[in-house]
Amino acid sequence: MKSFVNPLAPRTNRLQVKSTEIRAWVRHLVDLPEDTPVSVVELACRDEGCPDIETVIGIMEANKPIRTIRVHMALAEVTRNAIAEAVHGDSRPRLDSAR
Amino acid sequence: MALPERIPVFFLSGFLGSGKSTLLNQVLADPSFEDTAVIINEFGDVAIDHLLVRQGETTISQTSTGCLCCSGTTDIRATLFDLHCAASAGLAPAFSRVIVEMSGLGDPAPLVNALMAKDNDTQTMRDRTVDSEFYLAGFVTLYDIILGELSIERHFEAMKQIAFADRIVLTKTDLAKDPATLSDIAALPQDLRVFNATAAIVDRAEADPASLFAPRPYSVIERGEEVSGWLALEAVLAAETRHVHASNERQRPARHGSGIRSFSIIHDTPMDEARLSRFLSLLQQSAGQHLLRVKGIVGLEDEPECPRIIHGVQHCMSDPVRLEAWPDGDRRTRMVFITSGIDPEPVRDLFSAVIAGTPSPFGRLLSPISATLAALSSRLSSYLTTLSRRSS
Repeated sequence: MKSFVNPLAPRTNRLQVKSTEIRAWVRHLVDLPEDTPVSVVELACRDEGCPDIETVIGIMEANKPIRTIRVHMALAEVTRNAIAEAVHGDSRPRLDSAR
Repeated sequence: MALPERIPVFFLSGFLGSGKSTLLNQVLADPSFEDTAVIINEFGDVAIDHLLVRQGETTISQTSTGCLCCSGTTDIRATLFDLHCAASAGLAPAFSRVIVEMSGLGDPAPLVNALMAKDNDTQTMRDRTVDSEFYLAGFVTLYDIILGELSIERHFEAMKQIAFADRIVLTKTDLAKDPATLSDIAALPQDLRVFNATAAIVDRAEADPASLFAPRPYSVIERGEEVSGWLALEAVLAAETRHVHASNERQRPARHGSGIRSFSIIHDTPMDEARLSRFLSLLQQSAGQHLLRVKGIVGLEDEPECPRIIHGVQHCMSDPVRLEAWPDGDRRTRMVFITSGIDPEPVRDLFSAVIAGTPSPFGRLLSPISATLAALSSRLSSYLTTLSRRSS
């Protein structure tokens, strides 16, 4: 049976849905409490050797500096694996404490 | 709530082609807005917008080519400081209100952060002056009912512009005629609540422009958790940028999506109106939604003293507007294009081919654009071949 689709429900937005999905992935991967604010933005990047667009995720824990995770791809293309790699994947410190 | 005894600053935002300059013109025509200073911010290497906004004697217009949000938060503070100094020294008319018309691609976060006074931002005389003389008194975002949904679906900046607003204005509602579109418009406020739960949403056709720019306290808290998060993250990124790029100002990070670029065409002599129309039509057909914006001032052979203003947004090209005279001493045609995934060269080739009859490698026009447009290639080529035969 098809699930009911409410014709009066507000339309969903691809970027907003993706942002919500990214926040959920980050909470799980970094083991954050549900009430910890996580912010997601898409910015262009001119760093040499980087793709020209990146997604930056900010983790805002109480009484701690904001931590940032950078994923070098457009927000719409970010995957759970890409975030996992940015957080845990290689020897470089990718989960940086904000200065 | 009592308002500060400082000069209110309003941001006027909205994605490319949503009608910001049109609204600004209407506001500035109101005598009660004579004492308004206007800062116009453009994304592009040739400034056009300041020519398109009516300027009364008491209006100060300043432009910046390159987005304020890209060029760092200090630019908006520097511009406000310059306005204050010029008025204080009697070099420019006094003003009691500032409207900043943001670039259609502008990211609100760095600009709103720039007007939030912070201890570490008050170290210089300029910053202390800006904090003591100005305050953020409102954020107005225009939402084009024709292309707005597509814009916020594809461009993160467009979504943020809606989220930051304390007034959202639905524009181009007068173009809606059929019942289905009218029904969609009626549902829009509910749809926009997903992005902004608290802003007042008004129809441009019914809104009192003066009320949009009446001072009120702008509350970040009321904009919701998402906006607060973006501002906090923006502050961290700005600090990182200052740290990393302190020794190299040219390497400031851009904030616009992949492939978005701006370029201009400048033409010295008046042109044939029919050929101009053909050029814009062909460009529109081939580029479609990749042509985010085209705007310009154009000289025509038939009436060289009366230029035309051209406006186009993605698939929609407005009729040219006739001016009685050139707004400044520069009589050249100046057109600015903001595109997504289209290089300047093919567009310039097309312009040369249609306006001057210069042969052009049209295949290049389509190569950077999405594959779905490739089908237009043969049609475009045959059309221009016919045109070339007629010209010869």
